[in-house]
Amino acid sequence: MRLIVHNMLTCNIKGVVNKFPLRIEAEKVIKKDVDFNPDFLRHMLAKIEWKALVDGARSMGYTELPDHAPALESDEPFLKKFHHALLELNLEEGSLVCQETGRKFPVEKGVPNMLLHEDEV
Amino acid sequence: MYRWYGSLGVWEYPVNRLRTTVACPRDSIITLCSFFRFRSRMIFFFDPTETHSRDRPTQKETHREPTLPIHSPSPLLAVLSFSGFTEALQIHGGLKPMLLYVLRSIRISSRARYPLFSGFISIATSKMRDVKVRANYSKSTDEDEILSVKSTPEIEKKYVHRVYDAIAPHFSSTRFAKWPKVAAFLDSLPSGSVVLDAGCGNGKYLGLNPSCFFIGCDISNPLIKICSDKGQEVLVADAVNLPYREGFGDAAISIAVLHHLSTENRRKSAIEELVRVVKPGGFVLITVWAAEQEDKSLLTKWTPLSPKYVEEWVGPGSPMNSPRVRNNPFFGLESIPETEVSMKEQKAESSPSFGLESIPETDESTREQKAESLPETKDSLGEHKDENSVEELLEAMKMNQQEYFVPWHLPYHRAEVSGASASALASGLAKKDDRKGAVVYNRYYHVFSEGELERLASDVDNAMIVDKFYDKSNWCIVLQKAALNQD
Repeated sequence: MRLIVHNMLTCNIKGVVNKFPLRIEAEKVIKKDVDFNPDFLRHMLAKIEWKALVDGARSMGYTELPDHAPALESDEPFLKKFHHALLELNLEEGSLVCQETGRKFPVEKGVPNMLLHEDEV
Repeated sequence: MYRWYGSLGVWEYPVNRLRTTVACPRDSIITLCSFFRFRSRMIFFFDPTETHSRDRPTQKETHREPTLPIHSPSPLLAVLSFSGFTEALQIHGGLKPMLLYVLRSIRISSRARYPLFSGFISIATSKMRDVKVRANYSKSTDEDEILSVKSTPEIEKKYVHRVYDAIAPHFSSTRFAKWPKVAAFLDSLPSGSVVLDAGCGNGKYLGLNPSCFFIGCDISNPLIKICSDKGQEVLVADAVNLPYREGFGDAAISIAVLHHLSTENRRKSAIEELVRVVKPGGFVLITVWAAEQEDKSLLTKWTPLSPKYVEEWVGPGSPMNSPRVRNNPFFGLESIPETEVSMKEQKAESSPSFGLESIPETDESTREQKAESLPETKDSLGEHKDENSVEELLEAMKMNQQEYFVPWHLPYHRAEVSGASASALASGLAKKDDRKGAVVYNRYYHVFSEGELERLASDVDNAMIVDKFYDKSNWCIVLQKAALNQD
C-alpha cells in the first residue's frame, strides 16, 4: 500500500466522526522505484491532505518531507521528496488504525483489508 | 414432528415459515389428503426409493436452505402451497382437476434436477401472495428489515462472495478481453487521472490507460491477491461502503458489479458511493448485465429465483413473489404428459393466479426466449374468475424475472487446487457435474431491465446522466458528478 492510497482511506465504522486519516503502524516497509512524473505530482498536490501524508511517511520511516507544502510547487527537490513519499514507499505488513475507535485494519502483502465486521456497519 | 397418517409417514416442519408436510408417498392422493388433514401450507412429494427421507426430518428446522434430502439426480419432487382446501378446490374447479394437476406436477417435477428451493413448482393462493415471502436461502427474520443497507445479505455471502473466493483463479483466467467501451472511457480520461475501480475483480482494467493512476478494490480477497501479484494498487473493500474520502478520484468505474447486489437500496447505495468518491465534475462508468440478453439461449442455463430476495415488502398481487416455475430451465418442459391428461384439461386445471408451466402463453415472443417450448394453446381460462388480473399477473411474471442463479463450472482439476470446493460441496453450495467434470457453483444476479439503471442513477442528487447505452447484453451508464457552485 502506498501513501497515495493511504491519503484516501477512511474508517467507515458506523458513527465514527474522525474517520481520516488512519494512523499507520508499520511492520514492514519496502521501497519500489517509480518513474518520476512532475505533472502527475502537481495534479496530486491539489488532492493530497498534507499532514496525513507527512505523518504517514514518518510512520513508514521517511522524515524528509517538510511540514507544509511549499508555495512554489515547481521546486524540483521538493517534488522528488514528494514523489518518494507518495509513490515509492510501500507498506507491506502492518495496520491502519482508526484514530477514534482504535480499530485496526490489517495490511498484508501490501493489501489493506478495509472490510467491516457485521456489528460495525 | 413426525406423524402417521394412514399408512404414510408424514413430517411437518416449518420451511420458509410455512407449515409444511413432507411425505414419501407411493400414492399421491393419500398424501394430498394428509396435507389437508394437517392444514399444512406446503407439501413435498418425493420418491422414497431415491431418498433418505426417513433419516432427516430435523434438518429443515434449522437449515436455512431447503436442500431436501434428495440425492438422486432426478428426484420426484413437487411442492404445492395451499392456504386451504376450499380455496384450492375453487381454484382448480373441483377435486378431480386438482388431483390430476398434482399427479401431473409430480411427473413433471421428476425432471427437476436441482435440489434448491428454486427448483420446485409452487402455487401461491391469493392468501399466499399477501404473505411476505422470503426466499428460503435468506435469513427469515424481521431483523432483515432494519438491517443496514451496508450489511451484506446472506444470499450475497453465499452466492457471490463465497463463490468468487472459490473460483478466483479460474475466473481470472477467463477474464482477459478488454471491453472496448470501457477501454474507450478510460482512454478518454485526462492524463494523470486517479481512477477508482469498485469491484475490480482480477484487475483487468487497472492500468489500462497507462497515463492514469488506478486504485482498485474488490470484496474478494483471492481476486485481490491476483491483482496485487500483478503489482496493482488494490485493497479489499465493499463497493456499497467505500472506505474512501469524498472527491479524491478523478473518475470511477464499476464494471459488472452492481448486478450482484440483491436489493435495490444496496444497488442505489453503490451508485451513490461511486459518485461520492469522485471529484466534482468527475465521471463514473457503470455497467451491469441486462435482463434482455442478446444470446437468449443463455437464459436456459440460468436458474430463475423466486420469491424475490428483497428487503422491501412484497405486497399483494406483486408478481415478484410468484413462483417462477414456468421459467425454470430445469423442469424438462418436454416432459409435460400430453397423453396422460388432455391439453384442454391441463389448461383448465391450471389456476391462472399461479406460476405453472401449463399456463398458456399470452405472448409468444417472450416465450421464445426460453429455449424449451411449451405446448401452446389458447384455451381460454374461462373456468376461472377474474381473468383480467390473471393476465396481468402472467405478463408481470414473465416481464419481471430478474433474479437468477448463473452457474459457474469450475473444472475438477481447478477445484482441487482451490480447496474451497470440498466444503462447498459438503454444504450444498456447489454440485458436481461428472458429465462436464466440473464443480458447479451458482452466482446470484439481479439483472437489470431496460431503464432500471437509469432510474436508479437519476435518483442520485448530485450527479447527472451524460451517456447511457446497451452493449453486448449490458446496460451501461456514464454519470457526471455536479461541479461545485461557482461564486
